[in-house]
Amino acid sequence: MKPAPTLSSAFLTPGSQSLPQPLLDLRSQRGTALADMPLPTRKTENWKYSSRHLKLSDELATALPVKGKSGPALAVPGYHVVFHNGVMVPEASDYPDVDGITIQRFADLDDSLASELAERLDNTLDAKAAQLARLNSARFEDGLYIRLAPEAVLDQPLFVISETDACSSGSAYPRIYVDAGRHSQITLVEEYISLGDEPVLVNAVTEFTLADGAQVTSVRLSAEGENVQHLGATGVRQQAHSRFDSHCVGFGGPMRRHDLQVRLEQSGANCRLNGVVVTQGKQHYDNHTVIEHVAPHCDSEETYRNIAADQSHAVFNGRIHIHQDAQKSNANMSNKNLLLSTGAEIDTKPELEIYADDVKCAHGATIGQLDKQSIFYLVSRGVDRREANTLLTMAFINELVQQIPVESVRETTQVRLNQFIEQTFEEA
Amino acid sequence: MLSIKNLHASVEGKEILKGINLEIKPGEVHAIMGPNGSGKSTLSQVLAGNEAYEVTSGEIQFNGKDLFELETEERAREGIFLAFQYPVEIPGVSNLQFLRTAVNAMRKHRGEPEMNAAEFMKTAREVSKQVDLNPEFLKRGVNEGFSGGEKKRNEVMQALLLEPKLAILDETDSGLDIDALKVAADGVNALRSEDRAILMVTHYQRLLNYIVPDHVHVLAGGRIIKSGGRELALELEEKGYGWLGIKDDDAQVAG
Ligand SMILES: Nc1ncnc2c1ncn2[C@@H]1O[C@H](COP(=O)(O)OP(=O)(O)O)[C@@H](O)[C@H]1O
Ligand SMILES: [Mg+2]
Repeated sequence: MKPAPTLSSAFLTPGSQSLPQPLLDLRSQRGTALADMPLPTRKTENWKYSSRHLKLSDELATALPVKGKSGPALAVPGYHVVFHNGVMVPEASDYPDVDGITIQRFADLDDSLASELAERLDNTLDAKAAQLARLNSARFEDGLYIRLAPEAVLDQPLFVISETDACSSGSAYPRIYVDAGRHSQITLVEEYISLGDEPVLVNAVTEFTLADGAQVTSVRLSAEGENVQHLGATGVRQQAHSRFDSHCVGFGGPMRRHDLQVRLEQSGANCRLNGVVVTQGKQHYDNHTVIEHVAPHCDSEETYRNIAADQSHAVFNGRIHIHQDAQKSNANMSNKNLLLSTGAEIDTKPELEIYADDVKCAHGATIGQLDKQSIFYLVSRGVDRREANTLLTMAFINELVQQIPVESVRETTQVRLNQFIEQTFEEA
Repeated sequence: MLSIKNLHASVEGKEILKGINLEIKPGEVHAIMGPNGSGKSTLSQVLAGNEAYEVTSGEIQFNGKDLFELETEERAREGIFLAFQYPVEIPGVSNLQFLRTAVNAMRKHRGEPEMNAAEFMKTAREVSKQVDLNPEFLKRGVNEGFSGGEKKRNEVMQALLLEPKLAILDETDSGLDIDALKVAADGVNALRSEDRAILMVTHYQRLLNYIVPDHVHVLAGGRIIKSGGRELALELEEKGYGWLGIKDDDAQVAG
């Protein structure tokens, strides 16, 4: 038997951006731990359907150059922070400096805050279930640290635009850490985009900790260019009566993966996880979610929709783990899938592990195609066939798109999804 | 306007229409009556171009064009409209969005400018009142959660908006109470004009009290077995289908 391939040591050399010492220390610790890490293969349970899309060749290991000034020419309404190849661009950012809310790049943290952060990073993510999130911890060159004091409320959504320069091969490691104090509130919109079309790797990790009664709304758009591999992970830990509301929208690529792990650790915590994925051509997208019901009286509501066209491949794996003490848990998971061609593939796998006896847990997964009668009804009114297909496909995800809480994001997302879907029907 | 010659059609290998002949001229109102299962909806769906039905022989000319050369959407743009016996529910597509898309597709075909959302809203509100549908229905998904009668009125509303040359109404009267029937009939009568033809498909003759046809045809076993004027409908009401040698409940097409 051939030995399993391991992560090339080329990936374990970070770039040269300066960071506070405690974070440099953490990074090298993580790097050491990753040496000889076996790469996922078809036999790796949580990579079964996706390992064949993952291509970690050595030329991707180089840290992408940091341009300092430029920044994307994006008009972003309201508060925004721009990251370029994983490093913050202060000139292109605009965010408030108010009492009770700390928004700082990692590079600017003082030593005591940096060592506190170093203690906390990675605590929200299970290293086994999200192996490659650890690569980010060995490589990040900057990051965004957000702390909300108790009762602090950020009055507008904060956009974090993470732009990757795909003008040469290499990789970027965007990192965000959000510490939401008691009864604080924030809406964070993460947007991953790219420029250029060289193959690059984006390895992005975001972590949220929610203290009692905190309310966090998270919107995550993964819409990089056609040669970008995206390995993303989001980790969440929730204390009593906190609320985490997540909306993930993903466009396919050569390799796209998002791991979302939520731990409901104290009574009354609840989360809603919505996800929409569209793939076409030979694209791929893999969502792996884990909800840990650790404490009693917690609710989770998860709704994911995949649409796969052409020869593309979408994966959904949703795990719900209800611990023994988590009585009166309420967990709902729904995954519906739409295949737009016979060559497309969708793999869906709900995994329920329930150790408490007094719980409500429902799940459902379906795979279907566009309804012929509905298409006939629309075209019998003179509607263009392509438009009819697009309308019906959008109808499959409209409910989720309508739930995206920030109006401007909702509208642009809808337009982008519509364009993407229209494209898939181009030759039809 | 419409000329059907010796039309044969089958579904899932079973022959349903066994040689239909029918001529319809502009301005005329025709009624096709027949027992359940006689092939009325099959004929309607074939005219609209539903691919689930296979035309095995015969020809249909519509305003000088070979209908079989036209895709469903092209037939619609040329002026064929079918009010479905069972309108399809499409959650997630709003009725308003659907109607505007359809109206604009027609306008584009005719070389007219498209209507913007505000203009269309105004028109749609007026027409929805005409068929006694609360404009709130425009915001709902297409036919989503509509009662049987509401669906039928939504079909008539579409006919009014799309201004077809030939409107085929498949059992638009079924499931309507008497008030709703009058509203639907008023809508259909509003469609009547010199250059427009109407083909009403119905099991019962009561709709014909409100929309008086010029010609009545009886369809049974996949063939038109009798044609006449409006008095034929009255005769059928009085004597039932049995009078023509067909029983209502076993008049299904033989397999
Ligand atoms: N889509 C279909 N699939 C299979 N059988 C069908 C379909 N549509 C109609 N039929 C059959 O064709 C015959 C005629 O049906 P239809 O045209 O609906 O009659 P009508 O509208 O006069 O009641 C019936 O025997 C019916 O079962
Ligand atoms: Mg019928």
